[in-house]
Amino acid sequence: MSQLGNVRLQGVVKRHGETTVLHGVDLEIRAGEFFVLLGPSGSGKTTTLRILAGLESVSAGQVLMDGVDVTGAEPGARDVAMVFQSYALYPHMTVAQNIGFPLKMIGTPKEAIAQAVADAAARVSIGHLLQRRPGQLSGGQQQRVALARAIVRQPKLFLLDEPLSNLDAKLRLETRLELKQLQRALGVTAVYVTHDQEEAMTLADRVAVFMDGRIVQVATPREIYSRPAQVAVAGFIGTPPMNLVPALWRDDAVVIDGVAHPVGARTPQTREVTLGVRPGELRAGGAGTEARVEYIEELGDHCIVDLKAGDTRLRLKAEGQAGVREGETIHLGFAPGAAHLFDRASGERLN
Amino acid sequence: MQRSVPRRVALFAVAGLLVSVWAFPVLWALLTSFKTERDVLAYPPVLVFAPTLANYREVLFGSSSILPNLWSSLVVSCWATVLTMLFALPAAYALARLRYPGKRASGFFVLATQMLPPVGLIIPYYLVLQRIGGLDSYSGLVTIYLTFSLPFAVWLMVSYFEDIPYEMEEAALLDRAGRLRTLWYVILPQVGGGIAVTTVFVFLNAWNEFLFAVVLGGNKVRPVTVAMFNFISVEQTQWARLAAGAMVAMAPVILVGLAAQRHIVKGLTVGAVKGGGRR
Amino acid sequence: MPLPTPAGVGTLERQERRFALALFAPAFLLLLLTTTAPLVFLAWNSLQNLDLGMPWIKGFAGLANYAKMGGDPRFWNSLSLTLVYTASTVALQVLVGLSLALLVLQIPKGQAILRVAAILPIVLAPVVVGLFWRTLVLAPDFGLVDLVTRALGLGSHNWLGDPQLALVSVIAIHTWQWTPFAFLVLLATLATLPPDVYEAARLDRASAWQRFRYITLPLIRPAVVMVVILRTMTALSAFAAIFAATGGGPGTATEILNLYAYRTSFTELNIGYGSALAMVLLAITLGVSWLLFRRRRAP
Repeated sequence: MSQLGNVRLQGVVKRHGETTVLHGVDLEIRAGEFFVLLGPSGSGKTTTLRILAGLESVSAGQVLMDGVDVTGAEPGARDVAMVFQSYALYPHMTVAQNIGFPLKMIGTPKEAIAQAVADAAARVSIGHLLQRRPGQLSGGQQQRVALARAIVRQPKLFLLDEPLSNLDAKLRLETRLELKQLQRALGVTAVYVTHDQEEAMTLADRVAVFMDGRIVQVATPREIYSRPAQVAVAGFIGTPPMNLVPALWRDDAVVIDGVAHPVGARTPQTREVTLGVRPGELRAGGAGTEARVEYIEELGDHCIVDLKAGDTRLRLKAEGQAGVREGETIHLGFAPGAAHLFDRASGERLN
Repeated sequence: MQRSVPRRVALFAVAGLLVSVWAFPVLWALLTSFKTERDVLAYPPVLVFAPTLANYREVLFGSSSILPNLWSSLVVSCWATVLTMLFALPAAYALARLRYPGKRASGFFVLATQMLPPVGLIIPYYLVLQRIGGLDSYSGLVTIYLTFSLPFAVWLMVSYFEDIPYEMEEAALLDRAGRLRTLWYVILPQVGGGIAVTTVFVFLNAWNEFLFAVVLGGNKVRPVTVAMFNFISVEQTQWARLAAGAMVAMAPVILVGLAAQRHIVKGLTVGAVKGGGRR
Repeated sequence: MPLPTPAGVGTLERQERRFALALFAPAFLLLLLTTTAPLVFLAWNSLQNLDLGMPWIKGFAGLANYAKMGGDPRFWNSLSLTLVYTASTVALQVLVGLSLALLVLQIPKGQAILRVAAILPIVLAPVVVGLFWRTLVLAPDFGLVDLVTRALGLGSHNWLGDPQLALVSVIAIHTWQWTPFAFLVLLATLATLPPDVYEAARLDRASAWQRFRYITLPLIRPAVVMVVILRTMTALSAFAAIFAATGGGPGTATEILNLYAYRTSFTELNIGYGSALAMVLLAITLGVSWLLFRRRRAP
């Protein structure tokens, strides 16, 4: 397979007056990859996407596509297509005209346009809506039109800005899968922005996690889940999110509220850490840190127990029904391998 | 919420009063225009009378015909409207959507020109046009009409342009349309309603203009607003003819107003919230 | 390691700028030419002795015209009339317009015909409105108003010929024509107010007056301010209706500054002094608009 669709960001900085929105972003996206930019609002992921699109300029750094510097290139000059969060369909044109618009702009003859429009529409199953106007379509249908308009030009790069956020929950799940299948079928490089970590995990080949204008980790979803590089990432990924407690790491155990838990990693000096344990890895047992059961959320096939240990809130996930009652005091522990240790001050991973 | 009957009656009475207060003068003028001069002066006033078209005949085809004045008004208003829209549309788009140096200052300048009292402009225009023989000319009149039409049109259109989501331009640029084609294919069609409303307002304002018309016009260029005074002199007022003349003069304006009243109301509120509006 | 800013950066903005200027410049230049140049000329004239009725008097007058104003009772008369006229009509328009809007809000069925009726005064030419009122409404003996007052036993009056009544009449004319504007704008604004806020207030046991004062008024404030600004501008430069109805008279009873400047320049042909008067009106208009806009910003 050729290099078509390879994207690289080098040292990209974006400033808005006094504020720096992006602090030196470095990224390499391989051709054909489904690459997700994940992060909370304001983390810079959307800005990065827009820089790729050419809708925002960079204050410093370079953007390269297939080795060509496109940093200063106009949006229309890059071979890039984008699906906006609001779809940005042209309300005064029919669906067919909307989809055909990019081809019309580059002077494609009418018959070729009609054919390409029909093909694109077929791919997203909206062939029967071609003569309608966007205003007459449902949210899901509008989204497909936006997709069709993006794929009709067969671009090198496909950008998606939270395309599922305006759909209701059920539709979102269905469309998620279709999107992945579409990308696989087309083989086009896709960059997808979302704040929904579940979406990121299920769709991505690789994920770049953004926090405060910086990329804190680039890895496959599995790796991000099992070995988050930063405490912020750890707290962001997973439902319910990872429990994070301040603790003391001494020798090969971690001390919480006076109780030591082995963590299978040794430290030469005692240091202050943030301990991360996933709710699903907490065990209620005989010995361990004391915690009081505050509330139990029954979700059918599993349950989530909200606990309080000292001043810290914790959550435990268990299969089936909880074997505890509200108000009970239980003892929590975990397997050494389930511990994620982060330096208290910097948030960096330690083990 | 209780809708008691007497309350509703009271409300409808108020509404009825409003309608009469606002509509009655026009209706009274309409009625008067069909009366003979004698019937007009009768007291108590006659509501039932033998209607006559003599006034309209005189006003349209007789010696005091205002047809040439209608023509003057039409020419001046159309030219003013066309030129205004041609200049205002691109300027409004730039103000609403694009970034360029001096935008705030120049935008404020456009707003400020709307505040100019007409009497302040009429004096220098009169002097200059007199010197260059531009009095009683269409170009002179249209030029000064632009001073109030153009800023008004710009501000109305700015608010319409601002209503379009930013992503429209972004999507079009990504679709390789380029800035000019984006404006033409994507943006303008979406403000079609706004363009229509603005055009109507600009035309109405031009048609109704008086001060500029009376000072800078003459015998050749004499809009219909000035011609109204034909029917009033020191000795007598030709009541019925005046009414007829006024009805003819205001007919286009009233008809457009009634036809487009929903749009006009929307335009008024849009213009009021975002700034702008003359008269 | 920071990379140098590549050559391409800035072209996006540059192209946008060029396009923007190309679109904006024509209108801007046209306006500049048609308004600023004449105003400079106006200012120049205000500093001259320029009387077409006495053409032998020429030459630079400096600020003599302005000084003359200070001692000109007719000027002060016109200034106070302008103030009274503007303040009364704008206040009336807002009060009446708001009250009517509040009333009409409760009869949704009647609103359509009311909108039609409200449009009529607004679209008419002010000069025609002035003539209508002068001839059909306010004419002694057979005008509408006189008919009503005679029927009510209040007798016939010279509504436009009596100095006191004339001012009231022209204020009434202007108010009649422009109240619908305030009415329509405020009605539309009131219609957009969120009903749930009122429901919450009712639950909090707020009376109708309290609901009006603490919820409605603050929420419609921006619209009211805008209406005040626009109507004030119109009132300051109102010309045609007064000219048609009274010509500024009787005497100088309705001669607002606008009309005084006009009469001085075109009836008495004293262009120099008339220009100075116009300059003063210009200053007042700009000053008032600046003040009002500032109020608009500060809640």
